[in-house]
Formats: sequence, C-alpha cells, structure tokens
Amino acid sequence: MQDYKTENSFDLTLTEDQQMTWDMLKKFSESELRPAAREAESNGSPSVDLLKKLQALELVSLIIPEAYGGMGLEQDAVSHALSLEALAYGDLSLAMATSLPILAAKTIAEHGNEAQKKQYLEPYGSGSMFHVGLAINNTTAMGSPFESSVACSQEGDAVILSGSKTGVAFAEDASIFIVSATNAEGESALYCVDKDTGGLSVEKKEFMGIKGIPLFAITLDACKVQASDKLGGKDAKINYQSFIDSSRIGMSALGLGVCQAVLDYVVPYTNERVAFDEPISNRQSVAFLVADMAIEIEALRLMVYKAAALKDLGADFHKQASLTHRFAAQHCMKIGTDGVQLLGGHGFTHEHPVELWYRNLRAIGIFEAGAGV
Amino acid sequence: MIHPLLSNKLQKTQETMRMAAEFILRPISRKYDKAEHEPPVEMEQLNQAAAAQKEAGVGDDSVKSMDLKGKNVWAVISLEQMCWGDVGLFLARPGTGLGNAAIMAVGNPEQKSQWGKRWASMAITEAAAGSDSKNIATTAVLDGDEWVINGEKIYVTDGDRSDCVVVWATLNKAMGKTAIRSFLVEKGTPGFSVPRLEKKLGIRASDTATLMFDNCRIPRANLLGGKEEIETDQDAAKKSFGGAMQTFDNTRPMVAGMAIGLGQAALDMTRELLSLEGYEDAYGQSPGHQTAIQCELEMLEAELEAARLLVYKSAWMMDNKMPNSKEASMGKAKAGRIGNRISLKCVEICSMAGFSEDHLLEKFSRDSKILDIFEGTQQIQQLIVARQVLGKSSKDLK
Repeated sequence: MQDYKTENSFDLTLTEDQQMTWDMLKKFSESELRPAAREAESNGSPSVDLLKKLQALELVSLIIPEAYGGMGLEQDAVSHALSLEALAYGDLSLAMATSLPILAAKTIAEHGNEAQKKQYLEPYGSGSMFHVGLAINNTTAMGSPFESSVACSQEGDAVILSGSKTGVAFAEDASIFIVSATNAEGESALYCVDKDTGGLSVEKKEFMGIKGIPLFAITLDACKVQASDKLGGKDAKINYQSFIDSSRIGMSALGLGVCQAVLDYVVPYTNERVAFDEPISNRQSVAFLVADMAIEIEALRLMVYKAAALKDLGADFHKQASLTHRFAAQHCMKIGTDGVQLLGGHGFTHEHPVELWYRNLRAIGIFEAGAGV
Repeated sequence: MIHPLLSNKLQKTQETMRMAAEFILRPISRKYDKAEHEPPVEMEQLNQAAAAQKEAGVGDDSVKSMDLKGKNVWAVISLEQMCWGDVGLFLARPGTGLGNAAIMAVGNPEQKSQWGKRWASMAITEAAAGSDSKNIATTAVLDGDEWVINGEKIYVTDGDRSDCVVVWATLNKAMGKTAIRSFLVEKGTPGFSVPRLEKKLGIRASDTATLMFDNCRIPRANLLGGKEEIETDQDAAKKSFGGAMQTFDNTRPMVAGMAIGLGQAALDMTRELLSLEGYEDAYGQSPGHQTAIQCELEMLEAELEAARLLVYKSAWMMDNKMPNSKEASMGKAKAGRIGNRISLKCVEICSMAGFSEDHLLEKFSRDSKILDIFEGTQQIQQLIVARQVLGKSSKDLK
C-alpha cells in the first residue's frame, strides 16, 4: 500500500544537529529578519548590511562541494525544510534572499557538468550571492507547472529559446540565468543563459507580496544558446518534475514558517485585546479560528516532513510533494486571511505585520522554485 | 530522526489488516447496515480466528517485536485498516469496548485483572448531559457494602451486547465534577436493564443502547480506582476529574484513526467507480491541467493525509509517554471533519452511483457523521485545542 521501504519506525524527533541549526536560525530569524522586514519591503531589497549577515550564515557554501570552494556538507531534505521554516518565521522575502541562492547552487551542483560547476559555483566562494538567477516561474496561468513557458528548439549545435519567465529574483545582480525550457516533445531542461545573450531582456516587476527582494520578468526573443549550455551538457536529461516537486516542498516549508509567525502573533493579541469587557479570545468564534490555525499548521508541518523524508529515502515523492503543495496553498492563505481578521481593522494597517504576511502567503502555491530541499 | 513513515513491519501489519477488512468485513457490510440490531455472527468467527492465531503465536508477533514501544501507532494503523472495511462492524466486534480502555486507565490492579478481559461498554451520556459530562445526574450511594445506582444512560455503544458496563455516576450532584466516579456493573445485575436500542443514521451494525439503573446494587469494590472520599481541595478535585477525562487522550487517536480509514475507503471506492469511466489522477498539475474532479480528489486526499499524520503523531506521543491531550484533539478534530467531508463529497462526485445503495459510498457518508460527534464532538475538540493554544481555563473559554 506504500511505495517505499524502510526499516525505521515512525519518529518525529529532531537530531542533535537539526535541533542546533533550528535554534540558531530561529534566533537569527527573530532578531535579524523580523525587524528588517518592513524596511526591506519599502526599499524593495534587503540592506547591504543584512545581506552580509545572511551570507555569514554560510548556508550557501555549506552545500557547495569542496572542489568548488564550499564545505561540501550534503544536507538531507528534512534538514533543509527545517532551516527554511526557521528563516521564513522571520520574513518570507528575506528567507528567500537566502533560499534562492541555495537552490541555484544546489541545482548546479546536482545537475551541472564539470565546467559549469567550476564556472558557476566558484564565484559563491568570493562573496557573490546572486550571480545566478533562477528563471523558473511561468508567465502562463493555464500551463502545466511541469512544462516551461519558454520553448526550446534545436538548430544544429545551437538551441533557440523563446518565451518569458517571471518572478526572477535579483536579476540585476545576475550574470547568468538558469532558464527552464520545454521542447516540442514536452521534454524540459535547464539552460544556462548569459545575461548578455541577444534577445534577452529584463524588466522590473512588482507583485502583491515578496516585496523585500527585487523581482523581474525576463523575455527571451529567439535567444540563441549552445546545446552545451544545457545544465549537465548537451545530452543531459534532468527530471524536471522532480525538480519542481523539490521546490514545492521548499516553498511549503517557507509557508509553514510564515504561518507559525501568524499564530504566534495572534495568540497574545487576542488574549490581550479586550472587547465587551473581556479578552476577545474568551469567545469561541475567535478561539476556534486560532485552534484551527494551530491544527492546520501542525498538519502542514507533518506533510512537509513526510515529503522531505520520502525524498531522503530515495522513494518516489511526487504524490506527497503535490499533496503537500496543495495543502500549503489552501491552508497558508486561510491562515493568512484569518490572521488579519483576528486583528480586525488593526490587522489591515501597517501597524501590525499580519497584512504583510497575508500578502506574502498568497505566494505559497503559486511561486515555484523560490526554495528547494 | 524525523521520519513520519511506516516501517516495513508496520506496512505488513497494514496489509494483513486490509486483507481482513476486504475479505471479512466488506462482504457483510451492507447486510448489517440493513439488519440493524442483529448481532453480526461473522465477527465472532473473526475473533475466534484471531484468538486461535494468537494461541498459535502467529498474529501478535509484530507487536511483541516492537517491545510494545510502538503499540499505539500499531493500534491506530490496524484499526484504520479495519475501518476501511467497515466502521460499524469494527465497533461491533465482540470483546473490547470503550469501557475496557477506562478499566485500563483508571482501574486498580485487581480490577484490571478481574475485568480487563471482559467486554466492557461505557455509559456516560445522559439525555440532559452530553459533552458536558460533569452534569450527569445518575447517582451512586453507598449503602453498607454496596453501591446503589440510579439513573438512565443513553447512546451506549455495545450497551446491549457487552458483558459489563462502566457507568459514570455522581456521589453528590451538588459537588459537581469532583464527585463523579465510574463503576463497573455486570450484565444481569438486578435493577439493570436495556429498555431500548436506537435506530441510527449510520454504523447500524453497532448496537447503541439506552441503559436503566433502578436501585441497581453492585459490590463496593466495583468503584473503579477505589476512591470513595470526595476531595474538597480544588486542585485535587480538578486532577481527579482530569484523570477520568484522560481516558480520552488515549481513545481519541483511535476514533480519529477510524475516520481516516473510512475517508480512505471513500476515496478508493470513488476512484474505482470513476476509473470505469476513464478517470486518471493528475497530481500536482495546475488547475488549467486538471478536471474539477481531479482537483477535488487531490485536495481531499491532501486533507486526509494531513489528518492521518496528525493522528499518527498523537499515537506516537502516547507510545513515547509524552502528554498528548492537545495533539489527540487536533487529530480528532481534523480527522472527524475530513472523514465526513470526504465521504459526502465522494457521494456527490459519483452522482447517482454515489447516492445509490448499489455501492457503499452512501453508507460511508452516513457512517462518517458519528466520527465527528462521539468521543468528543468537533466543537469540543476545538475547545480543547483552543484552551491549550491560548493558555485558557474552562472558566475563561467556555
């Protein structure tokens, strides 16, 4: 009935390492990210100072192989998910300022060939965070997430890329983009596209949320790249569905962190806010919203853990990743909207972070490849 | 290690239980839905087969080898599969009732050894006291070396068929929940009668009885836990009633597991019916690439899986001796409402085939309702979770 095999029993205990990382990142998230969230939003980008602090966490170099200047510590998907939750607890945009370079580096480390790894991974060691831009989000609403809104076709030794991508973070800092593209046969691949390639244009975009990092759309107007620019080399085949699935677990873990922040904010608020001579949380209509929030958050956490654990096991995790993603899309937004509701008019203003979380939580289930596990 | 997955051994248990559910319960599912109040004799055979297996040292292996550490997760997984077969029949299986859980939770060692193996039902609810069990009016008065029980209990699962019943009664109504105790009353005790069986929306295979106690005299030793004095100290009093309520922390994951099994059954049957008309799943696709049914079924399955993990977690916490009151209620709240929503939605998705008694979908949708009611309604579970999350007493959050 299950399509995995394991000798280990059901368990939910964090390893010592996981607990240590969790404690450290949660603290960082509360003391550094949460207070910086509004400023990053209004500037459209984290401050230089904060970016330095994010880099000092060394989460990116952690996963880069030693041969390319990193620490080469292979992290399991569960540990990744835990880190993402802890970071997003502070702020989603700022968490993504870290999770995006991790995902880019991880994608290159996992799928790149020798030359690509050398070329694109080594700069991370010399202080760059955003020289690789991930261009994965489709501009189409009706398309399949497992196919790209950029088409590719072979022309001799060259490949022509046509279409557009959006939600590309830090595109101005990037020198290359990893662009997903799908051919006429429906096979998808990732291409390393130089920013200076003819036909490629970058345009700043604004979205309702994730405003703490700069986001762009890129258009590829018959961009000509070499077949060898395919990540992994010209004959490489990547499992694009599995790439999206991993990213979806990551995005769900980020959503989870934001939801936990909402819950931890509304509990003291509803306990302190007095109406009709008693705390509003003394009323079931308020208290039950909070209870349901707590229930769905715990459920989402277990869904994320399970999807990540299946990936770590090497089992097929497509179904669990899909279910987790659907669950996150549904419940993160419900929690986001209830968070504002519980604060009433106060929740609608910038005086409280719930309206920011509301806007950011709308990205969960929509934004692909903002984080991976 | 975070590993919310089932070991190969547990998967084996799961498969065995599923087979039993499929080949023993399913074939008689409709029969006892129609023949309400008729004891399902086939269940007795199932029990005998299980007992024989146990005797031969076969069936229990998986539990023994887990040195009982994982026995609650094991139990949830097993009953989930049995309830995939049929919830009503599962509840009607002779031998164990909710009363047994109470005996094991609050009984003293002598009581456990005397009655632990008997089939015990549990009588709490009264016409005027449902979820607010502290308002029960059934009385127990000590007269010499006997307790005299008076009152009427309703909605007692297995109330007619069980060997004995655990009855909640008050020693002094004026003293509220402090004075509530549970008593073991044997079938056939003079003054104890079963005047009525309910006709119900679902779980018709399981008998639901009204019990009358009219000057019913039972031995003094039948007071479970043996505590005859009533605490006047508030804290001690709270603790004593809390102790009785703790039974529920142990049984809620089990009832929640039933809802999971039923929800899975409804989803499986829906897919089976739809596949005859060419249906295939499309996990993870965008709405533009899914039919409404694919989209709906994926969401329902996501909800079910989420509920399942909550329930497994609450059982895992029991196995590891962690206090699980909040988690047990979370699991029960989620599983209860989702089991009900899924089964009703599946009827709708399958249209007239869902509504028809030719299939079991309509039955699942009737059976599922009780799982969001008994062992604490949806609203009671939300109340428990809310109080814990918000740090409130029952006085503040009513």
